[in-house]
Amino acid sequence: MNKLHMVLALTLLVLLLLPGKVNAIAYCSLRDPVAQIAQLYPQKTNQLSIVKTVDDNIRSQVQVALPSNDLHFSELGRHTLYIAMLGKQPLGYVHVRSEQSDWGLVEIVWAIDKDLRISNFVFQRCRSPKKKIAQKSDFKAIFIGKNYRELKALLSADGITAKKSVLNNAQGAAELANVVLMCALKTLLLTEMLWGEDLEKL
Amino acid sequence: MKPLSSIFVGLFLTFVLLTWSVHCYATFTQNLRWSIDGSARLNHNQALDNTSRIYALGLDTHKVFTYANGDIGYGVAQVYWTKLSNHIPVPFLFTSKDDSEFIIREAHLNFTAGPNWLPNVRVGHFTLPFGLEESIDTNGRLLDYYHGKNLGTKLDWGLSLNKVIRQIEYNVSYTLGGKDKAKSVDGSYAVTGRIGSLSHLDFVLGLSIFDGKIDNVSRQRLALDWQYYWGTWGLLGELALGKDNKQPQGWQNEKYNLVELNKSAVNEQLKLYGQFIIRDKEFQASANKLINIGFSYQFNTQLEFSMSGGLQINSPASGKKQQLARAQIRYRY
Repeated sequence: MNKLHMVLALTLLVLLLLPGKVNAIAYCSLRDPVAQIAQLYPQKTNQLSIVKTVDDNIRSQVQVALPSNDLHFSELGRHTLYIAMLGKQPLGYVHVRSEQSDWGLVEIVWAIDKDLRISNFVFQRCRSPKKKIAQKSDFKAIFIGKNYRELKALLSADGITAKKSVLNNAQGAAELANVVLMCALKTLLLTEMLWGEDLEKL
Repeated sequence: MKPLSSIFVGLFLTFVLLTWSVHCYATFTQNLRWSIDGSARLNHNQALDNTSRIYALGLDTHKVFTYANGDIGYGVAQVYWTKLSNHIPVPFLFTSKDDSEFIIREAHLNFTAGPNWLPNVRVGHFTLPFGLEESIDTNGRLLDYYHGKNLGTKLDWGLSLNKVIRQIEYNVSYTLGGKDKAKSVDGSYAVTGRIGSLSHLDFVLGLSIFDGKIDNVSRQRLALDWQYYWGTWGLLGELALGKDNKQPQGWQNEKYNLVELNKSAVNEQLKLYGQFIIRDKEFQASANKLINIGFSYQFNTQLEFSMSGGLQINSPASGKKQQLARAQIRYRY
């Protein structure tokens, strides 16, 4: 091993001792949800990314705020909040989160207004046979316009499913409604916890 | 050490120094992702009766560049120290079966700040936009779509125009054909392109073209790739037709067909796949038919274990049937 190799080995060793902010996938495979942001904010001219870390401490806070819940391992690491911009004017925020379901991970692209209310959502990935129901406005109306507190009020006592009155309005897609509700809650909670300060400065 | 490797080792050390500089830390680390990526791979090639190992340790980085009102673009840089141990045949980046080298995988900038009607512009060393690999990244994995074997290289230095628009995405590149070298070698070049439906959908269809000269071999390819997902199952394939002048008798037609069936656990920790591959070359009496099976298990965000086995099912005109078993452990910190 020559000197250069030794220097690099030591450098890598030191980096290993720094706090990790890892993602399980190689970064060359990261893709911004460009088509979905354009769908949610058709008038936007650009987007501003703010990358933050979801670490074990944040994960614990989510578990305290939403008992009986956890973040999937793919939800740890560095994640992006997108601010949809019209020139210099922020239109709203976009955040992508995954929730485990019986059909694998459901990835939802959330549009959030400046008051941190859900303004719309589209699926980046959803392999439920009832996906089409969840794309209809009647289903979406369960969640749109609500903030974290209002969405939490839709949860039943078990903390992981929606109340019966909510599921009755889910057009026969009750399981998907539970998945979307949990994903919405975690999205708004994490947005406020991690990006709240930055968003106030805008 | 090769000159290009020296440059990137220098860049790597510069990166580390910058990271440690308190003054620059906040600016530099804003919107930065980085991971130490280490892997150990064990290969047993039954046809060659050879067992080999490949060790890789590197830095994988991704940074979004922004200004007050939006993103300018992003950069990806991946530099890996890679060590072979008794590995044959010797890959082109190495000089012997026990060699070690610093290898640049992806190293590119993608400018995304143009108006909606203008494409993004990517410059650097990137994976050629062709076939399934364009939407399913196999970087550092045992899963393989034989990109390098089909085109002559997996990555190349150059420029690409790319964009995701409402219902389609496209990526067209002109690269220098020097593979790891940022220059044209003996007139080398590659024009590669793919246009397809949105890659996050349950049904994806893509059309790719390739025309290039790499390592003094001219190749032309036209390919159709497709993916269909139902629940936790996936069925996908790639059919590439083309010709190359690798053989002494001149241009020869070639056909490559891959079909894959895969299945994931609902939590995505376990992924299984099986592939059937037909590679038909005009100068060969019969087509090569291969079966690959494999799985990967993601223990947590950092640790992944994967295994794969490949078997040639037809009898080759000369030599032994291909039989390759591989296992890999990968840790990202």
